[in-house]
Order: sequence, then structure tokens, then C-alpha cells
Amino acid sequence: MSALLAPETEAEGLRKLGDPRPRDTRPVSTGRHVARVIGYVVLVVASVGVLMPFFWMVTSSLKEPNDVFSIPLQWLPDVPQWSNYAEIWFESGMLTWLRNTLILSVAVTFLQLLTGSFAAYGFARMRFPGRDWLFLVYIATIAVPWQSYMIPQFILLSNLKVSNTLWAIILLQAFGAFGVFLMKQYYETIPEELSEAARLDGLSEYAIWRRIMLPLSVPALASLGLLTFVNTWNDYLGPLIYLRDPSLWTVQLGLKSFVSNLFDTNYALLFAGLTISVIPIAIIFTLGQRYFVEGIATSGLKG
Amino acid sequence: MTTAVAPQTDAPPVTPRQRRRSRMKLRNALIGWSFILPNFAGFALLTLVPVLILFYMSFTNWNVFGKADFIGIANFQRLIGDGSFRTAVVNTLYYSVMHIPLTLVVSLGLALLLNTKLRGVRFFRTAAFFPYITSIVAIAMVWNLMFSPDYGPVNEILRFIGIQDPPGWLTSTEWAMPAVVIVSTWRDMGYYMILFLAGLQTIPRELHEAARVDGANVWQRFTNVTLPGLRPTTFFVTVMLTINSFKIFDLILVMTDGGPGQATLVLSQFIYRKGFEESQFGYASAASVALFFLCLIVTLVQFLINKRRNA
Amino acid sequence: MKRKLAVAVGLAAVASLTLAACSGDDSPSESSGPVTLTLSGWSLETTPEFQTLADGFHEENPDITIELKEYDPSEYNTLVTADLAAGVGPDIITQKEVKYVTTFQEGGQLMDVSDVELPDGIAGADSYKVDGVSYAVPYRNDSWVLFYNKAMFDAAGVDYPDGSWTWDDYADAAAALKAGGAPYGAYTHRWQSVIQGFANSQETQGDGVLSGDYGYMKSFYERALQMQNDGSMVDFNTSSANQLTYQGEFGKQDAAMMPMGTWYVATLIAQQASGDSDTFDWGIAPIPQLDSSTTDEPVTFGDPTGFGINANIDSSKVDAAKAFLAYAAGEKGASSLAAIGITPALTNDAVVDTYFSVEGAPTDELSKFAWSTHVVYPENPTSSKTAAIQGILGDMHTAIMSGSTSVDDAISQAEDRVKNEVGLD
Repeated sequence: MSALLAPETEAEGLRKLGDPRPRDTRPVSTGRHVARVIGYVVLVVASVGVLMPFFWMVTSSLKEPNDVFSIPLQWLPDVPQWSNYAEIWFESGMLTWLRNTLILSVAVTFLQLLTGSFAAYGFARMRFPGRDWLFLVYIATIAVPWQSYMIPQFILLSNLKVSNTLWAIILLQAFGAFGVFLMKQYYETIPEELSEAARLDGLSEYAIWRRIMLPLSVPALASLGLLTFVNTWNDYLGPLIYLRDPSLWTVQLGLKSFVSNLFDTNYALLFAGLTISVIPIAIIFTLGQRYFVEGIATSGLKG
Repeated sequence: MTTAVAPQTDAPPVTPRQRRRSRMKLRNALIGWSFILPNFAGFALLTLVPVLILFYMSFTNWNVFGKADFIGIANFQRLIGDGSFRTAVVNTLYYSVMHIPLTLVVSLGLALLLNTKLRGVRFFRTAAFFPYITSIVAIAMVWNLMFSPDYGPVNEILRFIGIQDPPGWLTSTEWAMPAVVIVSTWRDMGYYMILFLAGLQTIPRELHEAARVDGANVWQRFTNVTLPGLRPTTFFVTVMLTINSFKIFDLILVMTDGGPGQATLVLSQFIYRKGFEESQFGYASAASVALFFLCLIVTLVQFLINKRRNA
Repeated sequence: MKRKLAVAVGLAAVASLTLAACSGDDSPSESSGPVTLTLSGWSLETTPEFQTLADGFHEENPDITIELKEYDPSEYNTLVTADLAAGVGPDIITQKEVKYVTTFQEGGQLMDVSDVELPDGIAGADSYKVDGVSYAVPYRNDSWVLFYNKAMFDAAGVDYPDGSWTWDDYADAAAALKAGGAPYGAYTHRWQSVIQGFANSQETQGDGVLSGDYGYMKSFYERALQMQNDGSMVDFNTSSANQLTYQGEFGKQDAAMMPMGTWYVATLIAQQASGDSDTFDWGIAPIPQLDSSTTDEPVTFGDPTGFGINANIDSSKVDAAKAFLAYAAGEKGASSLAAIGITPALTNDAVVDTYFSVEGAPTDELSKFAWSTHVVYPENPTSSKTAAIQGILGDMHTAIMSGSTSVDDAISQAEDRVKNEVGLD
């Protein structure tokens, strides 16, 4: 397992920050070969188990509506019904929904990253009375189920005249405690000495946040950004309560409504729509993953 | 300037210095608040205020349409005597006790595995995240099919390897919760894996190299280098995982809706039922407050353990 | 810390002030000009009843326009509740489920509409009465009947239902159909009402739910378990694991009989026309009875759907809203609903003829009899306890039907829970 437990990722993206590191030239032992094979077997078995429901969703999206659930279980459609995709794309407001969802996800992710990482610096590096208690309040509110304060919140936002606008969802999601907590934890792993050195150079706290902490926390920012994006993209209950005007609907909301407007829930169509809605996230993930797996060599800055 | 911001300085008993120190303290506090304020403003208005209203409503018989009579702690007294509430608490704890350690181990293992240079690892990383982005409706449906006692692939495999009387899974009061735990772990692992992956990047490679040079084997490097380096991330993941486990809602709703009987009734669902199905929002608020304190206590304990370890 | 708390409490106070402010700011303005009323509905594309009533009413009263406000069908109650709480509810509130009527009424959201005149023979009006005061009027009242597939009966050589069936006849027929080659004799959907609604209406004339004593359901559950054990009926666990839809089970000829509400008539006709369902000959029969004494006027259950008026409506709109309620419940409303395949709360010969003249509808006499002649008891009695009790009975239903708890144990657990968690008068 040695090959698996030792991190060997290269710091390509941020090489200039780290020590230039020569490629590993040690001979590869048989033990490592075996470990590799085992690793692959585990990965292949795991990914079958992991992708199977998604695979079923995609094949079901090509079935006729009443064939989606049948006994015995049917994995592949007899004749692929590509028309399901055409129908959901052309006969629903898919483009509008995608546009709205994209606006929301981008805006929420941006605000969450900005305000979250900013506040996290205050919590992680500044000392002032009541800081820890305030932080605990932040986290504790995560524990309150949203459904239970949804109505007071809705009344509040209705009185502020933002319900039934995209602003409602942006405001709702952008200031979550989750991002503050995540970024604070990450900042605490960054050596204090770096900030000290910067203070000696006369940098203000804001400049330290901007020029040292932000670049060093790219993996954390990337994972926070991804998770926020996905959560906003897939949120259902929030948009359901706040976005009543069909021109404001998100993908999840629009799909559910489109499908329940048929005579009975047409799962084949629903899954075709859901498959379409997963694609943008899968692309973002595949393209963006190098940002949270590529190491930042903090040691290079210490000297 | 530099000494001004330095967090800790010794405190000599000279008055002008003290005055300067208190000025610095004030200045520090102002700077600290200026960092927190943009987020806090939104947080306070949109989350804190509604949550405080909820706290107040837990002492009333609020029915959502304005009129809320203060009834003291009657709601909490009623909670204590409510059999369904007790069932929900027990089920929630049962779920959490299984789900939290399992997810921690699986997601950390995945992160370690996928933090390597194996060929195709990018594909596997994407694959591991797929359960989290696949629609929860589709997930519930597929797993319901998989767990079908007579026709489901899970039991077919169990019978194939010689287990003659496989469990009824979602149709049995004993096995419904383990089945839910399997699915929720499967769904959440990619999510927490990403957080662990980010945490792994903070561990300087030199530490691993140094340990290797010192002759540490794989396990020793894992316990002496990787785990300590991951501590802030592990803390974060554990706290979030605990809170999210205590709040588990949507997956249960689509998979079992609390059944069979009350076998998988959890707290969030109890709250939802009391509030939106039975219109007892005051009582539901009291249950939310109970859940809040349950989480708060567990989180505080985790905080204290974390502080002691860091010290 | 103290200061922060003070700030937080101050914010909360401001918020609750805004909360309070929203509830009372409609200024009554007397105007005799055109009036526009908003009406809540759901799935407008496939639930044309709202538009039909709105158009028909506007034709008679050109001064009054009904504007539809669409809500998500499965979250209808949650969304309407949120809107009413925020003071932005519709003028006319459609009562989708009877079990929430008391919630709106006790919350002071519904206006007294006792003075709206209702035609004789309208069903379901009592469901909207609290202490003798009406808070809504019914316009639609589906009831439960037995759908059967004539082609599958023919193929298995089993006689069609003749209107005299008891539940034993039904079970025998299901077994005979299965033996005669049908995949399943019957399909019982997973809803608790498919078992409990019949037990409640036939054994207790609708009084059972609030009685706290559920022994009367035992024989109904035992029959259902027996039928799923001998394979003449799709079993509950398979149905839930495979998320079977009743439209698929009956429409794709997997089961030859199915107890279901009359709303399925319109769906089945539409699905046969669109090809989502197989094309076959079918009919509806009265639901089987306990014994032959009630076959002349079969006992079944069903809840009405109705319209109520928002208590906070602008006073200048009240008369117009009441006029709409009277129209929807009256004969003209009923005929226009029947013409689009909806079962109106008011049925008479003219309405029956209109309903069965729809293309694709069954034409036999028994179907007409089953649709129009019956004693309907409400599934949900109008009480603030109904929602909580139905939740407990729902848990009991999954415990029994999944086979995880015996009928006796599940019933006594439910009785204990109702006593302890809800309380009885």
C-alpha cells in the first residue's frame, strides 16, 4: 500500500512558490507493483458501485415511461427513446432554467468564497473578545434544520420585497457559516510565521489576507467553491419556496414541475432532464479537480 | 507597527504601555470585526434573526398564522413525554453512531487512494463525486430496487455467497436503518473526500520524505505525519458530519419516509411532520431547539477535545 | 458578549415588528368597477378544472376576472401556508386536502361562507363545516370505485363484477384471475387509504379515525396480507421497492382489478389515447361491500375539493368571491367540470350523461351506476386532530403491509400512540 499512502502529487500549477523538485528516480519495487494492482482493483470495483445508480438513471432516461420500474429489474431499454431528450430540451424551459441556475450558482459561490474567506481570516488570525463564542454561534446555527425557520425567514424576505426574485436565493445561500468554518480550519494550518514575516515587511492585515492567505488556500477555496456550486445547483426546497415565477425557475424546480404537469410523473423524462443537469457539474469537476489536489509548497515561503 | 499587531506581548506594569496595549486591543478588535462584518451582516439578518425567532416560538403555541401565545416550557414538557420524539432521538443517534465513523473512514481512505499518481485517477476522483451530484430521487429509487428483498441484486449476491436468509432491508424494522446508513455513506463519501483532499495538500511533502529517511514504515508515516497534519481538516469534517447526521432528512424522506412503522423516523422528519403536516409550529420549534442543543453539546465536546490535542 | 446579545435581541425585535406589521394593512376601498380575484391551483396544464371554472364564471360575470396562481402540487399546502403567513395569499384558497381545513380555519385565514347558496344533493359540504359554520364550498368530490380490465377477465374466464360483490367475492375473483393466467388479479396501491378508507367507511360510517380504536381494520388488513401472500395481488414490498405506479400497473395490464378514486377515469382515457397505456376494454364497478345489505347504495369513501375565501381579502372583493363559490358549486359549474372528465360534487342525470359522453369513457350501465350512486363517507373527518392521527395510522400501515409487525401489535401500538401523542376528547 505504500504507493497509496504517500502523497506524490506534483505542484505544477504553483511551482514558482515551491522548491523545484526533481522527478522521483528511485527504482520501483515489486511490492509497489502489487500495491498498484490492488489499488486498481479496488478503484474499479468501487467505481462500478459508485456509478451504477447514475448509469441506471441514464439508461432509464431512454426508456418508455411505464418501463422505468418493472419486475424483474430491467437495466437497458429495448429501444432507446432519444425523443425523451428532445422533448425535455425543446418542450420545457430548459434553457431558461439552466441560465437561472447558472446565475445563482456563480453568484452564490463567488459571494460565499469572498465573504467566507474574509471572515475566516478574522476568526483564525485576529484576537478580540467574544471571538470564540461568536464562532460557536455560527456553527451552532448550522445545526438548526432549515425547515424549522424557513417560515420566519420567508416572512422576513417577503417584507424586504426580495421573495420571488433571484436575490432571495443569493442572499439565502451566500452567507452560510459552512464556508467560514471551512476556511478558518484551513487558515490554521498555514504557518503563523508567514504572516509575521509579512507584518515585518509592513503589510496590513488586509494585504496579508489578499497576498498570502488567499494564494496559499487555493485547494480549500477550490473545494469550498465546488461544494457550494453543487449545493446551489441541486437545491430544491429553497427555490421552491422563493421562486414562484416560472421565468425564475431553476433546473431542479422546473424539471419537477414539468414532470408533474404530465398526467402522472414521467420518470423517463425526469431522468433525461436530470442527466442533462448533471453534465455541467461533471465538466466543472473534471476540469477543476487539479486545484484541490495539487499541493501548495508552503515551505518554500518560509525562508 | 509589527509589535502593535503581534497577538501576545508580555504585560509589564507600566501605565503608558498599558494604555497603548488597550488601544491596540481595540484596534485589533476593530480590524477583526471588519473582516467578519460582511459575512456576519448577511448571516445575522438571514439566519440568526429567523433562528432567534424560532427560539422564541418554541415557548409558544404558534400555528404559523401570526397568533402565538406564550405558554412557557409546556412544549418542552410535552416533548419529554412524547413517545415519537423519543423514538426519533434514538433513531437519529443510532443513525449517527453508524454513519459518522463509517463515512470518516471511507472518505479518508478514498482521499488517500485518490491523492496518488495512479493512471486514471482523475476519472476515479470524478466517479467518487458522482453519488453526491446524482439526483437524490434517482438515488433513492435505484437503492430501493437494489435492496428489494426478493428480486434485488444485493440479496441475490448474498444468496450466491451462501447466506440463505438475507435481511429484508428496507422492509424490515431491524435492517431499514442499516440500509439507509449504507446509502448515505455511499452518497456522502465523495463530498467529504474532497475536503480531505484539500487538507492533504497542506502537509509538506518534506515531512514525508524526512520520515522515510528516518526509516518509518507506511503505517508509521500515516499515524505520525498524515494524521497530525490533517487534524484541522478532520476536526472540520467530524463537526460537519456530526451536524449533518443529526439533521439527516431528505434521503430518509425519499427512501423510507420514516418506515416501516417508525423504524427510521428521525428528528428532522419529526420536526417537519409536526410543523408542516400537523401545523404545530410552536411544538416543532421546541423540537428544533432540542436538536440544536444536542448538536451544540456534541460540537462543544469536539471543540474541547480538539483544543486539548492542539495544546 | 453582552453587547452582542443585546444587538441580536434588538434585531430579533425589529424582525418581529416587521412580522407583525404585515398582517393588517389592507385598506378597504369601495369600488364597483371590474374586480380581479386570484385563485390558487396546481399543475394547471393537466388540471384544467381551474381554468374551466374561471372562464365559465367570467363569461357570466364579465366584470369579474379570475386569475390563477399556480402552486407545486406535492408541496401545495406548504407553499400556501408560507404565502398566507407572509400576507401574500390568494383571494380564493383552494382546499386541496380536507385534513388541513381546520389549520387554516383556526389560524383565522378562512372567511365564513355559510351564506353562499348550495344546490340540493351536493356532496362533501359537511367536510368544510366547523361548529356549524361553513368555511369553504365543495366543487369536486371523487369517490373510490373498482376499476377492472374486461379483456383480462375474458382471457381468464372470470365473470365481470356485477355490482353485488363483497370483499370475499373480490378476493376469490383475484385468485381466479391469477389462476387463469393474469400476472396479478389485483393491485392495491401503497397509500394507507386503500385499506383504511374502506374499513373506515364501511365498518364505522366514517367515524373510525377519531375513535382511537382501530380493531375494525383488522379483517381488512388480514385479507390484504392473505392476497399478497398467495400472489393474487402485488405485494407491498415489491411495490415500494420498484416504486410501482398505479397507472402503470393497471394501464400496462399487470393487474386486472384496482380500487382507485374516480379521478383515474380521466387519466386512463388520456393515457390510452396517448399510448402511455395499453388499449383495452375496461369498466368501473362499485367497490366491494362488507355484505349484500349495502349493494343497492354502495358505501365508499372520498374527500371533496373545495374553495374557501381568504379572511384578509379586500372587502370590496367579497361579493365577487362568494359569487364565484356559488357558481363553482352549482349546476353550471358541475356540468362544465363533468365535460372535462372531473367528478363534480354535484351529480344529477344531466351531469352523468355529460361525463360519460367523453370519448373513451366506458359505456356500460354498471359503470354509470358506480360513478353516480353511492354513500360517500369522508376519508378525513374535519378536526384539528385528523392530520396527526392520519400520520400515526400511516406508520401503522407500512408496519403491517411490509410484514414487519403483526396486525394486532401494530394496531395496539397505533392506539397507544393516538392516546399518548394526540389525546382524545
